[in-house]
Amino acid sequence: MPYDAMSDCAEEELLAAYAAGDAAAARALTARLAPRVLAHAYRMLGGDRAEAEDVTQEALLRLWRAAADWRSGEAKVSTWLYRVTANLCIDRMRRKSRAGPALDDIPEPEDDRPSAVQHMQQAARAEALQAALDELPERQRQAVILRHIEGLGNPEIAQIMDIGTRAVESLTARGKRTLEALLAGRRTELGYDGDD
Amino acid sequence: MPGAADDLSVFFEAARAEAPVPDGDFMARLTADALAEMPVPAARAPSPGFWMQVRSALGGWAGMTGLAAACAAGIWIGVNPPATLDAYWGDSTNLGEVGVDPLSGFELAMLEE
Repeated sequence: MPYDAMSDCAEEELLAAYAAGDAAAARALTARLAPRVLAHAYRMLGGDRAEAEDVTQEALLRLWRAAADWRSGEAKVSTWLYRVTANLCIDRMRRKSRAGPALDDIPEPEDDRPSAVQHMQQAARAEALQAALDELPERQRQAVILRHIEGLGNPEIAQIMDIGTRAVESLTARGKRTLEALLAGRRTELGYDGDD
Repeated sequence: MPGAADDLSVFFEAARAEAPVPDGDFMARLTADALAEMPVPAARAPSPGFWMQVRSALGGWAGMTGLAAACAAGIWIGVNPPATLDAYWGDSTNLGEVGVDPLSGFELAMLEE
């Protein structure tokens, strides 16, 4: 199957083609999955890009090795991959117990050009959120990231985390409350009041 | 004043917009991993050649060896009959004497008609 024709294929079909030795499927799956895995690992690991890249490489390696025995219909590829990624991240976090940057350490915007200010403001907000996420217990952090940043539905998150949907709702609600409390004092500082 | 949920949605949007993008080198490394780990489809076994099929039909090497030995022995006995059989054959090579009639009276009668 040519690479261009693969943009509409489901990930499960691509994985089956990969398992049958289709190199174009290998490239298509890598291009599709790597950015999502990297972003998820990056957020779970407190914005540590090098660690996130290591986790991405390891998670995808596990997927390639599982491809030959993959049973279609059992699990979505992305669901399986989010679960593996989160587990790898949690293992690393527990091993290192490294604290994320403190909220007060986040640099202030310095450039005063409008677009640059806007960009810096957005980057500062993302960093502030990351720092606040790092303060959450790991399960709450995982649920909030999956629900509100990755945009997954509760049933899929429940599958990834191996819990019920009610538990997902509870984790995200508690996580958001903590985030609100952590970020409440920084709205003006991060330019929130000037947006509306 | 917007609610707390709106407050957070601004941060979530910022996080989405600032998502890390894998660079070319990293993607190349991941693709190389994927290709290196890709299962190789089982190669179809080539069909055996003519002599392989003959050998197999005759029972492998053991069958072939036995057949060759039997052929060689038959040819050797034909070319150089063992002396111990002379008593049976006698001095004559007339096959009729040993009861072997290659052409019976019946066949000769048929030829005459």
